[in-house]
Amino acid sequence: MTLLGRRGAVVAATLSITALVLTACGGAGTEAPADPVAETRTVQAGNGAVEVPVAPQRVATIGNTTLPFIDLGGKPVGVTAESDSDVALLPADEQATYKSATILAPSADEVDMEKLAGLDPDLILVQVPESEFESIKARLTAIAPTVFFGLDAEWKALADGVADAGNVTGALGAQKAEFEQRLAAIKEKYRGIVGGTSFVDVTRYSSSDPGTFAIADIGCSEIARDEVGMNFPKAADGADPLAWTALPFEQIGELSKYDVITYPVDVAGRPTEPFAPVVETNTWKALPEVGSGHALGVFCPGNNSYGSVIRYLESLDRALATLPATG
Amino acid sequence: MTALAPQRDGPGTAAVPGPRRRLPGMRLLGLVVALVVLVVLLVLSVMIGSTAIAPSVVWDALVGSSVGIDQFAIRDYRLPRTVVGLVVGVALGLSGALIQALTRNPLADPGILGVHAGASFAMTVAVGLLGVRDVHGYMWFAFVGALIVTLMVLAIGSTRQGSSPVVMVLAGVCVGAVLGGAREALQLTDPAAFDAMRSWNAGSTAGRALEVVWPILPLFGVALVLAVAVSGSLNAMALGDEMAVAQGVRLGRTRVLAIIALTLLAGGATAIAGPIGFVGLMVPHVARWIVGPNQRWIFAYSAVLGAVLLLASDVLGRLVIRPGEIPVGVVTAFVGAPVLIVLARRKKASGL
Repeated sequence: MTLLGRRGAVVAATLSITALVLTACGGAGTEAPADPVAETRTVQAGNGAVEVPVAPQRVATIGNTTLPFIDLGGKPVGVTAESDSDVALLPADEQATYKSATILAPSADEVDMEKLAGLDPDLILVQVPESEFESIKARLTAIAPTVFFGLDAEWKALADGVADAGNVTGALGAQKAEFEQRLAAIKEKYRGIVGGTSFVDVTRYSSSDPGTFAIADIGCSEIARDEVGMNFPKAADGADPLAWTALPFEQIGELSKYDVITYPVDVAGRPTEPFAPVVETNTWKALPEVGSGHALGVFCPGNNSYGSVIRYLESLDRALATLPATG
Repeated sequence: MTALAPQRDGPGTAAVPGPRRRLPGMRLLGLVVALVVLVVLLVLSVMIGSTAIAPSVVWDALVGSSVGIDQFAIRDYRLPRTVVGLVVGVALGLSGALIQALTRNPLADPGILGVHAGASFAMTVAVGLLGVRDVHGYMWFAFVGALIVTLMVLAIGSTRQGSSPVVMVLAGVCVGAVLGGAREALQLTDPAAFDAMRSWNAGSTAGRALEVVWPILPLFGVALVLAVAVSGSLNAMALGDEMAVAQGVRLGRTRVLAIIALTLLAGGATAIAGPIGFVGLMVPHVARWIVGPNQRWIFAYSAVLGAVLLLASDVLGRLVIRPGEIPVGVVTAFVGAPVLIVLARRKKASGL
């Protein structure tokens, strides 16, 4: 390249950069008037009082807020990934909504902030462990108003909070009414069984070690215990949930001390893929509950939104109806 | 820590006394004692579990045909697990003795030739990219991965002057590092693969059916024969390559056969139970401390003591946090590290 050529290249590059900078400045200048300051209101959240748009249009959801928001009819522009197995449990329309959103990260603690900012959200809903939130709080709030829910937020409170902040309260009332009606019906229908029967809910996760299962005291059986009043085992106050202890298959025999066992099945009533190895064991087949029809498969599509809880209650109702009449 | 130990002019075969003269009778007696301990641990492994089952029921499950929850628990869980512990322990102990003899490096273990890295990488590909979820499926990926990577290391480590233990070890470390990075990258982009690998990476004998062990056993048999066949040559090679050649040892053939044997053993054990550390590293040290530098005795002791360490660790792991369990790979690290430190600080360390 000649000297003139090099100079020409330098000049061309300088002009290009200048043009780009001016274009960027111009862009920023023209966008601002097109996006006038929206009306705001204040919501109370785990991170205090937050000013959010009255009618947010571009909501991003991080962590456990995604499925409740979609369940309430929300259409997030960006989400952190849910597991394929969880997405497969959603109704078709909710699956379509989920798939139309931009995936921001494979898990809630790895949010791609550049991608999130590029979506230009006007509201971010977050439910992750508090320590994780603290590490990304500043970057999230710099992008958009951020409403945080701690993991200790009970599922009904989470649904209320998500609906309120995301302005999707329309479906909430109907869902609440249906939930109360189903709950009352189950309590009434199985009053005799619920009172004097010991239940245990067992599960196995896709991440469980080979040859292990767990007693599920969190998840859907939490609804059955706390809302329906069924007698499911529960961890002592202050102790880790029972579900966090991986029990070797040898412990399957210990389930015989309960009257009824519930286990996870898919929407078609088959044991879920992770749980299938348990029902294939000889010890499971030898359990008196299994032989006598007291092992019930129950479908659990989720436990943190009214829609999924209602579907769980429907499945629980069908399962309890199959229990052989006693004495 | 891959530098080779300096060659010694001293201890070689039985003809040259080691730091301490061991009588063949004492070695045999020691081996019998180790075998008795192994039998006791085999019994304990069947007797002890996360549930309390009466000894009479255990006996009934083993020799009778009655069907009951406890009998199934013995036959389906404790017995297979005990067999897995025995087989994997023997394989890891013997493979550790082979790699230390081959490289004349007391800090070598099978992982140094990329066995664990190859198995882990192949497993991650199987789980993360191909969606294999069943232990029977990914076990073969792990085994083939270990074999391919070790052969690759063998090829890289072979120079025009023949295969060199130093270059082989360096090649193993390099290939292991590259595959480790690739494996982590895959796992980070695929949480499901990460979850599946999490338990496998800890190293465990739980949940492995005997069907997982049977296909590997013939390969272990081949490896055992190869190990016995090269033990004499490895004794001579302990004196140095030139002395070994002078005694008629074919260095290249001995190294290749030893590597095939240790890869079959370590690759098979890793495929069955996941990477379990410290057994292959520590057990040969204990064996050398007991029997001196004769490789035949070291191999015999390492096989038995490897199974002893693995079974003892597994039984311990079932007791510590009942009704949960600690994977045997975690326990061997806790048990093995202090013992190895004690051995290393001895006045006369079991060097090569």
